Amino acid sequence: MKKIININVNGDNHEVAVRPGTTLLDLLRDELNLTGTKKGCELGDCGACTVILDGKAVNSCLVLALDADGKKVKTIEGLAGSKHLHPVQQAFVEKGAIQCGYCTPGMIMRVVSILDENPDPTKEEIKKALSGNLCRCTGYTKIIEAVEAAKAYINGMEQPEIEYQPQKSALDLSVVGKRLPKIDAPDKATGKALFTDDLAFPKMLYGKLLLSPLPHALIKSINTKRALALPGVKAIMTGDDVPDIKWGTSPPRYDENVLAKNKVRYVGDVVAAVAAVDEETCYKALQLIEVEYEELPAVFDPMEAMKEAAPRLFDDKYENNINTHIDHHFGDIDLGFAEADHIREERFVGNRTYQNPMEPHCSIAEWDNHGRVTLHTSTQVVHYVHHQLSRILNLPLGNIRVIMTYCGGGFGAKAATTTIEVMSCFLAKETGCPVKMRFNREEMYLFGRGRHKQYIDLKIGVKNDGTITAVKHKAILEGGAYSSFGIVSAYYAGSMLTTLYKFANYKYDGYRINTNLPPCGAFRGHGCPHPRFAFESLLSMIADDIGMDPIDIRLKNAMEPEYRTCNDLDIHSCEFTACLEDVKKKSHWDSKRGNLPKGRGIGIGCGGFVSGAGYPIYRSQFPHSNAIIKILEDGSKAMLYIGDADIGQGSDTVLAMAACEAMGITMDRISVVSADSDLTPIGFGAYSSRVTLMGGNACKMAGEEIKKQLLQAASEILNVDANILEAKDNKIYVKDKPEISIPWEDAGFAYFSNNGPLVGKGHYSPPKGLGGKYKGAAVGTSPAYSFSATVCEVEVDMETGKVKVLNFWDAHDCGTAINPMSAEGQAEGAVVMGMSEVLFENEVFDKNGKMLNADLHNYLIATSADMPEISSTLVDSYEPAGPFGAKEIGEGATLPILGALANAIANAIGVRIFELPITPEKVLKAIAEANKVNSDS
Amino acid sequence: MYISDFNYHKPKTLKEALELLHKSDNGAPIAGGTDMLVELKQGLRQHQDIISLTNIEELKVINEDPDQLYIGAGTTHSEIIASDLIKKIYPVIAEAASKVGTAQIRNTGTLGGNLCTGSSCCDTAPVLIALGAGVEIANGSQLKIIPLKDFFIHNKQTMIKKGDIMTRIIVPKQASCVGAHYEKFGLREAASISVVSVAVMVQLKNNIINDACIVIGAVAPTAIISQRSTNVVKGKNVSELTENSTLLKRAGKAAAEDSVPIDDIRAGAQYRRDILNVLTQRAILRAIEKAESKCKN
Repeated sequence: MKKIININVNGDNHEVAVRPGTTLLDLLRDELNLTGTKKGCELGDCGACTVILDGKAVNSCLVLALDADGKKVKTIEGLAGSKHLHPVQQAFVEKGAIQCGYCTPGMIMRVVSILDENPDPTKEEIKKALSGNLCRCTGYTKIIEAVEAAKAYINGMEQPEIEYQPQKSALDLSVVGKRLPKIDAPDKATGKALFTDDLAFPKMLYGKLLLSPLPHALIKSINTKRALALPGVKAIMTGDDVPDIKWGTSPPRYDENVLAKNKVRYVGDVVAAVAAVDEETCYKALQLIEVEYEELPAVFDPMEAMKEAAPRLFDDKYENNINTHIDHHFGDIDLGFAEADHIREERFVGNRTYQNPMEPHCSIAEWDNHGRVTLHTSTQVVHYVHHQLSRILNLPLGNIRVIMTYCGGGFGAKAATTTIEVMSCFLAKETGCPVKMRFNREEMYLFGRGRHKQYIDLKIGVKNDGTITAVKHKAILEGGAYSSFGIVSAYYAGSMLTTLYKFANYKYDGYRINTNLPPCGAFRGHGCPHPRFAFESLLSMIADDIGMDPIDIRLKNAMEPEYRTCNDLDIHSCEFTACLEDVKKKSHWDSKRGNLPKGRGIGIGCGGFVSGAGYPIYRSQFPHSNAIIKILEDGSKAMLYIGDADIGQGSDTVLAMAACEAMGITMDRISVVSADSDLTPIGFGAYSSRVTLMGGNACKMAGEEIKKQLLQAASEILNVDANILEAKDNKIYVKDKPEISIPWEDAGFAYFSNNGPLVGKGHYSPPKGLGGKYKGAAVGTSPAYSFSATVCEVEVDMETGKVKVLNFWDAHDCGTAINPMSAEGQAEGAVVMGMSEVLFENEVFDKNGKMLNADLHNYLIATSADMPEISSTLVDSYEPAGPFGAKEIGEGATLPILGALANAIANAIGVRIFELPITPEKVLKAIAEANKVNSDS
Repeated sequence: MYISDFNYHKPKTLKEALELLHKSDNGAPIAGGTDMLVELKQGLRQHQDIISLTNIEELKVINEDPDQLYIGAGTTHSEIIASDLIKKIYPVIAEAASKVGTAQIRNTGTLGGNLCTGSSCCDTAPVLIALGAGVEIANGSQLKIIPLKDFFIHNKQTMIKKGDIMTRIIVPKQASCVGAHYEKFGLREAASISVVSVAVMVQLKNNIINDACIVIGAVAPTAIISQRSTNVVKGKNVSELTENSTLLKRAGKAAAEDSVPIDDIRAGAQYRRDILNVLTQRAILRAIEKAESKCKN
């Protein structure tokens, strides 16, 4: 029964009736509509729900609303004045401390409380004090900078100017190449930005999924009678109630059912769905659904799964549970190895990791009375959701509207359609009401689609001078129960090993194996980080073997511009050597290497990635990115409509910058509408690091079309030839006589008055015929490739094995950085995420396939206290295929981290660890074994 | 994830709280709630009545008399860290409290709650046991004091019985020249669960360790006194206990021998033993250092 409480929130007194179990978080969000406070884990681990309660920062998810009776609460909504942002908010916006924005409100509230307690904290104090607020995007670097800036604002101190040397390719540009705050940052800093779970509709119901408790079983019967009888339950659906259609991510491997048909294949497989008046009733109903299972033997280890007698996940396909097998051979490795002076082969093992975007997935579906459904969802790929829903619901695209709200991070976890996107549509249809479905943190892990754990046998041959003569690579990817992106992951694992170093002879054997575990998918760097970790490790070992400096062996083989790799990938711009030289210099590599005390080590690692996949996931002739720009009738604003998705990486800002540069206006003259299938033309979305190059080109083209029409209108006003006009900085002027000009908006106004709407269209398709002709040649193709190098320095406690990462010095060839501040943010985020994967992260299962750490309490990700010093450089580079010379950085920046850190640890302790994560336990064991060998010999 | 319904009570006095608890068949007191709410949400516990202790001021007092330091069970970890009195008498208690969870958790979670949760990796227990603390428990009109070393039965099992409310933590003031140190090993730099922890208290007299107590955490179902390592250092001259000295190594090894760790997702049992050995040695050195600096003052 409800109780009345009096609570003061942001200065306003509220008298509210609450149920005893209501948390302060739910009170704020659901009763008071203060949705700026976010729900990230519900268990006090992530800090996204931080508010200030009677002067102290607390996790509002772990405070009973009734315990807050009579108290004062301050939330993100109460921070800014009507005109001005709070200094902390201002600093977060200016310093680029906000990416997806989901951790931001909690983070800002925590910073406010830190500075209240101590107006002048040191950097180390800030890092420690912020460690209860997890961020997955920023790598905390710019957040710490923002705290220091906020400190200065509050204390009235001078701010040191940032020294930034613009890239050469951006010197003559007005908007591109500038360190601008993200356009959505103020909304995210104030809690105004609405994520899907922040939305509520009249008569909205909630939905939840019943998940399999068994790893492998036949469903004998499902009885929903008792659950349906529970007051508040509106609908229950099982496999019998949904269409008999297979779905998934890549068409050759559609193998998932909307809800299980007869069989479940892992703990977490979806059995049924319920809609009810609230989540609590859903949970209660789930407990009342009776499912009779006949348990089948299960298999969790890919090596076991491949054996003849192993239990099969699918009877009709994937013999020996081999979901995908790839057999690629380029050049002649026998010849290559025969030419080698030194050959080394080692086995490396990766880890099963999960993206953990701070925002849990959420979807709300609603049908209108004309048979049209609208889905608000937290996704990276509006178009693929749209396409998949069209297949499953058997509706034309035009009867489905998919709207991406603000999205609190993805990293691949939201790169394909999810069960809740599909089931919210079905439940909404069944009940006639809008239905909201959200994953809690545990359900996110169980839905899965994280990184495949790879078992890699890698063999490299080199000549005495370090020249690579042949590479042999065998990878076994543990894929979980379904295909998801897996076929692509398995191809990427092989194809992308060729882009950094020139070698002519290469063999790749790839196997993706089904097991009774949550399905694996695409996680930042898609399939490549583990092979890259293996390659960078082995290359450094070989350098040591032949007495060569590890950076020199890389320089010796480094990729160069305009090179076709042995597997037919076309490299155009390439400043890899510049990256290597930059990190070598700024890390003081030469003076450190070999001169560090025991326990301290330094290592190099390199990486690179595609700037967008050359081909779409399903066969389609549509341009990959499309943009429309509409100029307001008075010329005061450009509206950019773009299908690609800003998941926090800042693409709305970057695409707007490209459009502004092309049109000749400043950033205050543009608004962006993105990722709404009714309003925006299709864009394939945020995956394969494609948006900057592909979306950027589409926006640039649309902007140029606007400019062309506008110059024509201006030429009529100025009575000059349009050819001699230029548009820049909100003016249209004669190129040779800039004093002859009219305001940009005047030309827009005139255009509209005379011709009607001023619209520009742009689209981008990768060049036709990318890649070779062999099976699987499409994976790895791209219009352009990024390159990066990083040097890492660590300190290892030789008695406990604990690794402290001190520094990363990284350099990136991302072409022209459209927004260098955002590009740095991607690099810093990649460093900390990569480091976190190497040191902490691993999904652990019990012997029955149940995940043991499906939370943020036991599955550790790096906190601000773990963050190393990061020094990122964007080298001078220009990519002809990219807008203003730009290419990707988001995923490529992750790739060098794993190998660099592993190499640094090996350098520090004098022995190599081949299996991720590199835990203190493994480090200590390796040290002990090495000591034993030394003392024996 | 949801919290099942319950009857909520928020008494203003301890007496009232004890009466409410006595009347309920299945009632539980809740202090900061940082552990309790997690367990309620995960469905690990259900209660008909929940008695909030947040309004009971008498549970939040930190004070002293000539012989003892009293910490109200309802004191939050942050309040302990900020307390001048604790800083003056036993700063090590504040140091241990600062290792608990995150700032947000420390701002809400209480010392009494932390102890009553009874987790084997509890960060405050080892230090308090090493200092010879007791816990005061009220039930109806009864009041009893249990030595903290006897309070824990097993992981998540304590001497708290139906109707009990922990009221104070009582720490005896030691003779002069006492130094205590807490070492915690977690997998990340902050906000991590102890994989191994150790608290060392030493009391010096003319450079001899007159009294000592070494408590090891997260390596047995509860924090336990390592009698063997305590015995190794007791009565010894501090000059024998230097880095890499045979005696120090013996003490570390003895602590490892007293441990009964398990394999779990954080670490294996043998690894826990290995680093317990290391951590114990480090903690002994730091405790001696602290004691020596106190002696000088």
